[in-house]
Amino acid sequence: MRFWGFLASVIPFELAQGLGVTGRFFFKRKATIQYPEVKPVPKDRFRGMFGFSEERCIACHACAKACPIAIIHIQDHFEEVEVEGKKRKKKVLDRYDIDVKRCMFCGLCEEACPTKPVAIWLTSKSYEAAAYERNERLYFDKGRLQSWDGVRPYPGVLTPAQGQLPEAPGGAPAGSAEPKP
Amino acid sequence: MSEPEALKPFPDSEEMEISFGPQHPATHGVLRVIVKLDGERIVDAKPVIGYLHRGTEKIFERETYNGTIPHTDRMDYTAAATNNQGLVGAVEKLMGVTVPPRAAYIRMILAELQRIASHTIWLGTHALDIGAQSPFFYTFEEREKILDLFEEYCGARLTLNAMRVGGQPYDLPEGWTGRCRTFVDQLPARVAEWERLLTANRIWKLRTVGVGVISAADAIEWGLTGPPLRGSGVKWDVRKVFPYDRYDEVAFEIPTGAGGDTYDRYLVRMEEMRQSVRIVQQCLAKLPDGPVMAKVPKVIKPPKGDVYFSVEGPKGELGYYVVSDGGTNPYRLHVRPACFINLQALPEMVRGQLVADLIAVIGTLDIVLGEIDR
Amino acid sequence: MPAPLMTYLVIPLVKIVVILAVVILLAAYMSYFERKVLAYMQIRIGPNRVGPRGWLQPIADALKLLVKEDIVPSRAEKLVYFLGPVLVVVPALLVFSVIPFGPAFKVAGHVVTPYLTDVNIGILFILAVSSIGVYGVILGGWASNNKYSMMGGLRSAAQLVSYEVPMGLSVVTVLLMANSLSLVKIVEAQQRSGVWYVFPGFIAFFIYFVCGVAETNRNPFDLPEAESELVAGFHTEYSGMKFAFYFLAEYANMVVISSIATVLFLGGWLPPFPNALAALWASPALAWIPPVAWFVLKMAAFLFVYIWFRGTFPRYRFDQLMALGWKVFIPVSLVNLMAVGLGVLLIGGPR
Repeated sequence: MRFWGFLASVIPFELAQGLGVTGRFFFKRKATIQYPEVKPVPKDRFRGMFGFSEERCIACHACAKACPIAIIHIQDHFEEVEVEGKKRKKKVLDRYDIDVKRCMFCGLCEEACPTKPVAIWLTSKSYEAAAYERNERLYFDKGRLQSWDGVRPYPGVLTPAQGQLPEAPGGAPAGSAEPKP
Repeated sequence: MSEPEALKPFPDSEEMEISFGPQHPATHGVLRVIVKLDGERIVDAKPVIGYLHRGTEKIFERETYNGTIPHTDRMDYTAAATNNQGLVGAVEKLMGVTVPPRAAYIRMILAELQRIASHTIWLGTHALDIGAQSPFFYTFEEREKILDLFEEYCGARLTLNAMRVGGQPYDLPEGWTGRCRTFVDQLPARVAEWERLLTANRIWKLRTVGVGVISAADAIEWGLTGPPLRGSGVKWDVRKVFPYDRYDEVAFEIPTGAGGDTYDRYLVRMEEMRQSVRIVQQCLAKLPDGPVMAKVPKVIKPPKGDVYFSVEGPKGELGYYVVSDGGTNPYRLHVRPACFINLQALPEMVRGQLVADLIAVIGTLDIVLGEIDR
Repeated sequence: MPAPLMTYLVIPLVKIVVILAVVILLAAYMSYFERKVLAYMQIRIGPNRVGPRGWLQPIADALKLLVKEDIVPSRAEKLVYFLGPVLVVVPALLVFSVIPFGPAFKVAGHVVTPYLTDVNIGILFILAVSSIGVYGVILGGWASNNKYSMMGGLRSAAQLVSYEVPMGLSVVTVLLMANSLSLVKIVEAQQRSGVWYVFPGFIAFFIYFVCGVAETNRNPFDLPEAESELVAGFHTEYSGMKFAFYFLAEYANMVVISSIATVLFLGGWLPPFPNALAALWASPALAWIPPVAWFVLKMAAFLFVYIWFRGTFPRYRFDQLMALGWKVFIPVSLVNLMAVGLGVLLIGGPR
């Protein structure tokens, strides 16, 4: 017993064992994803770039209040509109701006949104948000929130026009807007 | 601003002073350690912190209770789930809310997966500091799988924001439990693989055995928690002593070391990964049906009062002290960060040892500067 | 053209150019090889963007380093700072002048030897020249006026000095067996005896290789440039071409250590068991393999092991490194030397 212990202390078996582990990994399948050519498709609930729907928005400011870093700026005014012959006051959205460069993509705005389906959502599966000029490219007004001017579509992305995934939390109920697979 | 004492020159000594960091490959972020060296031997080491200070505790006071959760993600950014767990637990305790059992189990699964993820980062970087490169990549491969599970559950990989006061914001997606089980079932084999690379390795042992020793009594005096405390042989784990969520319903062991050195802490963490696997497996088996959210008002207004609630984070005891004045925002929200308190023992642990040991000890304390500076 | 001019000027000059070009290219591609192998061990795929499968990566790196701004710290000792890389790279390349890559062969009636010169004290020359390199490291580390560099330089000096001793002692065992200091003669002696010296001298071989790893500051002995401790060690402050010189020297030294190990212990350009399997190697199926191919193959195997080590082992601590050198390798190599000497004396060695 002592002899084997001595032998093990002289001959580095365990180092050879370690070499064996790395040697085996040498032949294993590599984990690398060749990014610009191969684009990983995020999971359904992935919180990516904002999607926004002006017609659903009721300008209630809940998202702006829920935002922990206050990057949603909303301006609205009341307008007299005629609904079924009666005159009613209705909130009309003037501005809906999101300072995306400061966003931390927590998704609390989406959770706070009271409309069904939600008017502001993050589950767009988009992650390529890099920009050369952050003040210009990453400040989205309501037009850009809906058109995604400048955001390149790539496999898996759901543009605002395509709506949300029905499965996603806070997502549209099935049938509201058909997502692309 | 007065200079730190350690910055003053030593005109009549041969001691050399080196500023390790804040930009240094092995200080895990922006830790700065001012080291007095006699040759390569450390005479004194003074950690200088604050390079990542963001005033998180002050920001908390401005946020609604749910709005603070994304900010806790960013404290210990390698363990967002346990950070969330502590905060929501504290607020729930203050409000007297009991979360539905399903939500509690989901929280436990997330927290244990997070503990594994955090320990894989620790192992990778610790081994990298000591010079073994490959474990870093092997551990990160497994961590990616955990992050994929997180992404599937809550849509984020790192800063999860996955818990709310009163329960969980979403239920588990379809098929998630199966994928989670596949992952945890194969993990022990991978942990064994990493151990084959390191545990018996004579160089690894030379570098870790007897390095950064702290006795059980000292560890308690310094207020160490988590693996650094358990490595010294103290059986203390918040999950066991003050069970939160449903930790009293699952069986797991608290691994402890004997010598209180870096090697013991290494073994403790390796075993903790296996125990976490055990907990996740039990949780998946026991996962009850039902709602994931308790009945809580949309605007959370806890009653006036204060409460302390702590969870066992991957780095140690992570406590939240919430003071409420009855409003929508916390009046004061103090965090007891595990890393900050563990770091205080650093000078004690490295005094008289070599420069290379300083790196090993910083690695073994498993500090995250985001939590230390907040 | 008069014959002496041809023999003493033209042919050596051509050889110098060829060897330098090959060695520098080899050192550059060694970095590619290392990155690729290391990546494969770490479940990555390594450089694959420049050129097909990343083959042009070393060229791109060299170009980048060439055009990069060469920063000299304002408090550095300018002359010594400049001398550091030079002192490292010149000995590293100089050593290649005596390494025999293959046996002499005939081209158009001229006997061409695939080595620059066969000095009769070849191995001594190598040991002497290669140890100059440490000056470059320590001077560069000192001249940078940076504490990390300084510590890296000091570590390197101590490490090289202490590992030179067991390395030299293990080389002596080969000299005892081969009865010569000339590298060509050592290979020829292995051919005569029909057995590579790795078999009678496996302890010496092990010690030589481990010390070689330590000499070239490679993992697990890469303390002088231990990234996690000393940022980049002695070359922390170096940039541009000066950094490239340190880099080149490190890889050239790896090639040197591997080629010497090949020559001393693995029979240089000889195929395995050159006498016992002579018929096999002479058979038409295998006879086309040039001797240089065997040399390169063995050298590549050593280089692969270098990288394998780097991919696997943690790093020693400084005092442990010294203890290993002085308390283990030097006594063992001394005892081994005596045993081999006794064996050569009594049974005449592997002749």
